[in-house]
Amino acid sequence: MTQTVGAPGSARRYLHSLWLLSGRDLRVRYSTSALGYLWSILDPLVMSLIYWFVFTQVFERTVGTEPYIVFLIMALLPWVWFNSAVTDFTKAFSKDARLVRSTSIPRSIWVTRIILSKGIEFLFSLPVIVLFAIVGGATLTWGVLLFPLAVLLQLVLLVGLGLLIAPLCMLWGDLERTTRLILRALFYASPIIYGIYDLPGVFPTLAAFNPLAGIFSLYRVAFFPDQWDPFALAISAVMCVGFLGAGLIVFRRLEPAVLKEL
Amino acid sequence: MEGDAITVDGLGVRFRRNRRGRRSLKDLFGGSSRRSRPNEFWALRDVSFAVKRGESIGVVGRNGQGKSTLLKLVAGVLLPDEGSVTVDGGVAPLIEITGGFVGDLTVRENVRLTAGLHGMPRAEVNRRFDGIIEFAELEDFIDTPYKHLSNGMKVRLAFAVVSELDEPILLVDEVLAVGDKAFREKCYARIDELLAGGRTLFFVSHNERDLRRFCERGLYLKKGRLELDASLDEVLDRYNADYPA
Repeated sequence: MTQTVGAPGSARRYLHSLWLLSGRDLRVRYSTSALGYLWSILDPLVMSLIYWFVFTQVFERTVGTEPYIVFLIMALLPWVWFNSAVTDFTKAFSKDARLVRSTSIPRSIWVTRIILSKGIEFLFSLPVIVLFAIVGGATLTWGVLLFPLAVLLQLVLLVGLGLLIAPLCMLWGDLERTTRLILRALFYASPIIYGIYDLPGVFPTLAAFNPLAGIFSLYRVAFFPDQWDPFALAISAVMCVGFLGAGLIVFRRLEPAVLKEL
Repeated sequence: MEGDAITVDGLGVRFRRNRRGRRSLKDLFGGSSRRSRPNEFWALRDVSFAVKRGESIGVVGRNGQGKSTLLKLVAGVLLPDEGSVTVDGGVAPLIEITGGFVGDLTVRENVRLTAGLHGMPRAEVNRRFDGIIEFAELEDFIDTPYKHLSNGMKVRLAFAVVSELDEPILLVDEVLAVGDKAFREKCYARIDELLAGGRTLFFVSHNERDLRRFCERGLYLKKGRLELDASLDEVLDRYNADYPA
């Protein structure tokens, strides 16, 4: 008998399977298109240029910090990661139904593999920030050391949301479109084209209860120390952990029903 | 228990009768006592048995009596509503014709993926790759997308990969009925080999000759219950008495 990669159920086997599936996702994405890797950059690049044009050339803009394009992109790229992962959560089980139906790997892998492959694409797109920071003349501060913390928070949030959304969408078809609608609203409800401090009245306090607010502000601290917001960050951290807890409970509860539905 | 490869205890699983039935939050989150489920039926209930390591079990029953459901529960791709299934070691499942293969990926990628998900290290997959392809007789289709293969080819590939996995338990559903005679003989020779090597076999078939060839013990499922757990001859006699040809 030859050796296998870790015993079934071990952390090593989990990572092996996770890596295998995420790697496959990336290979499929990069090998089926002529531009391959460039798509990871092109997409956020074009989006940033559009927002830059609209908000710095067309409209009088009173929000954000200069250089605005860097300010924007520091939240836009993490948003693309969040948005594409949550969109894929809605089809996490149905997309590979056959594989889920016949492979007894831990079912949470179907969620985490999405987060990982989209996360890797996010990391691949980081050179866009470097490019704009140089062109726009933004100065890097010590805040960049908090970047990994922001990534970690976003990971926790995504795992929690994924464990919630993926099984619920499998059981109730309506939720797939609902999720997409909420995402669209969330884009404007999160500090992406603006910062938390640009909000009037009580809204900065309210906005802090959107876990993305604390995370995006933390990303921005790398270039904009004035975006540091311990209040939003603390609430965001608590909420991320809360979502993770809720996700774990719901996922365990719904797993048998999801498998029957496939 | 020492030496038991599979232990099934009070196993039960229920399905909804109609797919479109309404599902309420209470059904999913409420405790079992609070649920109202007029639209559900038990596909399997009160099934208990133990399989020793190296034993070969034939599962007998008419269509829709829970044979495939039992196999899926043993394979761990379905979770029980009642009772438990304990499997000691990994399971190599040959359950559905397309078992675990992805249509858009090529034959090569599918072999890597399936073997990898069963924990086979990459180097090991590479070492065995040629053997798998040769067994499946797919030398000319290595880079063909899986969905373009014929049904017979799909089964050949699935069997070639799954039988190459080093899992101690082999589950075989009726998939082999699809292959042609020559290939079936090849598969059977391979199963004999695996059995001689001490694997545990869980075999579902309607074919009496196949069952007699591999299995010593039989499980007879009727209406989701374990009607009889005895030697294969006894089980087949009872089955034939219940449903005379």
